[in-house]
Amino acid sequence: MDILYSIYEVAWFVLIVAAGIAALEGYFYYHFKLYGKKWFMAVSAVFFPLAAVLLCRYLGLVEGGGLGRVWAWFFIAQVLINLFFKHIVKGRFSLPYMLLAPAFTGLALLLVYPFVFQIYLSFHDLKLTTIMAWKNTGRLPFAGIQQYINVFTTSPLSEITFWTLLLRTLLWTFTNVFFHVAGGFALALLLNNEIRFKGFYRTLLVIPWAMPQVVAVLAMRGEFHSQYGFINIMLGKLAAAFPALAALGFGPVQWLSDHPLATCTLINIWLGIPFMMVVILGGLQSISSSYYDAADIDGASYFQKLRYITLPLIRPVLMPAVTLGTVWTFNNINVIYLVTGQSGGTEQADILVSALYKAAFTYNRYSYSAAFAIVIFAMLFFISVFYYAPTFGRGNLGIRGSLRGKVISPSSPARG
Amino acid sequence: MAEVRFSHVTKKFNENMILNGVSAEIKDHEFVVIVGPSGCGKTTLLRMLAGLEEITAGEIYIDNVLVNNMHPSKRQIAMVFQDYALYPHMTVEENMSFALRLMKLKSGAISARVHEAAAILQLTKLLKRMPKQLSGGQRQRVAIGRAIVRHPKVFLFDEPLSNLDAKLREEMRVEIAKLYQRLNATIIYVTHDQVEAMTLAGRIVIMNHGIIQQVGTPIEVYRKPANLFVAGFIGSPTMNFLYGRLQAEGEKLFFKNDSLTLYLPPFLLADAARNAGREAALGIRPDDVVIGPGVREDCSEKIEGILEVSELLGHRENLYIKAGENRILAAVEAFFNQSPGSKVSVGFNYRNMHVFDKKTQKRINNS
Ligand SMILES: Nc1ncnc2c1ncn2[C@@H]1O[C@H](COP(=O)(O)OP(=O)(O)OP(=O)(O)O)[C@@H](O)[C@H]1O
Ligand SMILES: [Mg+2]
Repeated sequence: MDILYSIYEVAWFVLIVAAGIAALEGYFYYHFKLYGKKWFMAVSAVFFPLAAVLLCRYLGLVEGGGLGRVWAWFFIAQVLINLFFKHIVKGRFSLPYMLLAPAFTGLALLLVYPFVFQIYLSFHDLKLTTIMAWKNTGRLPFAGIQQYINVFTTSPLSEITFWTLLLRTLLWTFTNVFFHVAGGFALALLLNNEIRFKGFYRTLLVIPWAMPQVVAVLAMRGEFHSQYGFINIMLGKLAAAFPALAALGFGPVQWLSDHPLATCTLINIWLGIPFMMVVILGGLQSISSSYYDAADIDGASYFQKLRYITLPLIRPVLMPAVTLGTVWTFNNINVIYLVTGQSGGTEQADILVSALYKAAFTYNRYSYSAAFAIVIFAMLFFISVFYYAPTFGRGNLGIRGSLRGKVISPSSPARG
Repeated sequence: MAEVRFSHVTKKFNENMILNGVSAEIKDHEFVVIVGPSGCGKTTLLRMLAGLEEITAGEIYIDNVLVNNMHPSKRQIAMVFQDYALYPHMTVEENMSFALRLMKLKSGAISARVHEAAAILQLTKLLKRMPKQLSGGQRQRVAIGRAIVRHPKVFLFDEPLSNLDAKLREEMRVEIAKLYQRLNATIIYVTHDQVEAMTLAGRIVIMNHGIIQQVGTPIEVYRKPANLFVAGFIGSPTMNFLYGRLQAEGEKLFFKNDSLTLYLPPFLLADAARNAGREAALGIRPDDVVIGPGVREDCSEKIEGILEVSELLGHRENLYIKAGENRILAAVEAFFNQSPGSKVSVGFNYRNMHVFDKKTQKRINNS
């Protein structure tokens, strides 16, 4: 019977979504069709705001007192929409817009609304002490840019400052992405050779990436256990076998309690290499072998071929992957949370996003966290736009190294 | 300054025999064209000479130095690839100077060589362009430029004109001929276009199925094809072949098949007794088919045929004639004023007739 009830619930949900889409499409359809008619403008300006208000009322989104104000907002919005359809859209592009409408509305509900709400939160003060008042009155104390100032001046956690976190995050991101690319590149070069069992190796190497991250991380975390973990057992055996090493302080390490960030980094490097490997391997395989033949005849050594042929030619696939990798690593809370979260909540391994998570859901500083998140977003945005974006379409200008620019043409001696 | 010698060179890909004991000598300053149908191993041979492909057996010498295990860059050769293989991320100038920069030449010397080559090939204005901003012919010239800046001992061209349209191909063919006169280098040029081979070559190497069929000057291979393959491959339109048997009647030798009997004079094929009884193929180029009733010297007696199709090519006209079971193509002066279906009498010029043994495929007449 439980099953039947679940099916009934799902069916009901599907029905509601379908009805929503139908309403949306109908709304657009008539606006596209009847945008020129005066009577339609009048009717729509009356009808749609009223319907919206009633819907809000029915869903319990507004209390009795707020109804008038809400209606006024909807009315203005409807008038603007009418003007928009009349003077700008003029019935053109009806099919594309109608096809886009459901997806766009879904995105707006899932992305735009939370984002706007987050901006709203970041300029107010929502925390444990104000949350009840907010629930009761719907009003929040306005805080101006105080939350943003707090982000830079106070600690999101108990002891670590924002600046330490930022530095640590940058270091974390750089180290991870560097080893992802280096490891992925090395493995891709190996796999790009004519070797036996290539497909088998490739499958093996992709496993960490294909597994659910929770499983992969928790399994690896077990291997870093101080007593039973594979790594410490190996270190202990090595130290026992080579006393000279042991004398230098070589031996088992308390990974999780003494070096949580290093542990997280090692695990995340292991997790991230397959992705880069797959991307780079794809890039390598798309390079025509005749470039290497030509370079052979031109007398390029293995490393010169790597430097002057391979790297510039995989750049177009590498750069987007590096950008993505940077954003993912910068934002990677899973590994840090799963590795350190359960062991008494050390702050030694926190990066910006994991600190953000703790600030919001451990310390319940919602507005502060909202501002914090926007700051992080802004940083990533600028990194992506200013550092990587210019290099995307620029495969041509790849070589900037020593080989380039050596040729100085007599016709233009001033060439830089 | 450079000779190339192939000595019993063999190549296998896994178990597939691609080249089967190729032996050839290419002299200094010689323009040698290797021709053959697609897949006969021309590129493979060139790549082995360049050092890009391993040699299964046999030896390759450049200037009497065994190069079997020498790195490509040490062989002092330059190769122009079938698909050009211009580095897509470097400008024309960078493409042409890449090898020189790797040699760590002084920038002045590099620039001088690049500009010299660019001037020869009319690339000076394009030096700052990327390969993808060039037309096919320009790319082709850059590929050649990349080869000549290195001042190699031997140039290898692998079907450099095959990606160009017919008009451009003709122009570039002339350019390459000029370039050869100017550089005076050893050039090995691969193509499957026999017009290129005939016009460019000092000597032609004709290959089929990984075996050299004949080596000789264009005139030699045209006038005296060594076997049926060469006879059919060289010359356009293709040579006519008549299949039949040689029979001796007294001292006279005749070629016979179901629908035709031809007398073969002794200056064409002597020693009637020894050749009698052989299965043979007669080869006659379309230009050596004589149409019309008039009697000519050194021409066979006339046989009757029926004109099936005639193709007007401008100054020449191709006539497709059927004589019994034999199909004959004749190339005559335009205009041949007879309509398809009409009777024509056909004769063959003995002076340019070729007799091949059908079993061994080899040429048996010496004239
Ligand atoms: N890497 C390879 N592995 C296996 N077989 C190959 C390889 N390269 C070439 N072959 C085979 O060797 C034969 C000769 O190839 P090659 O490229 O030398 O022909 P080609 O004479 O240059 O033909 P084309 O005029 O079409 O360029 C072909 O049958 C081809 O299938
Ligand atoms: Mg080829």
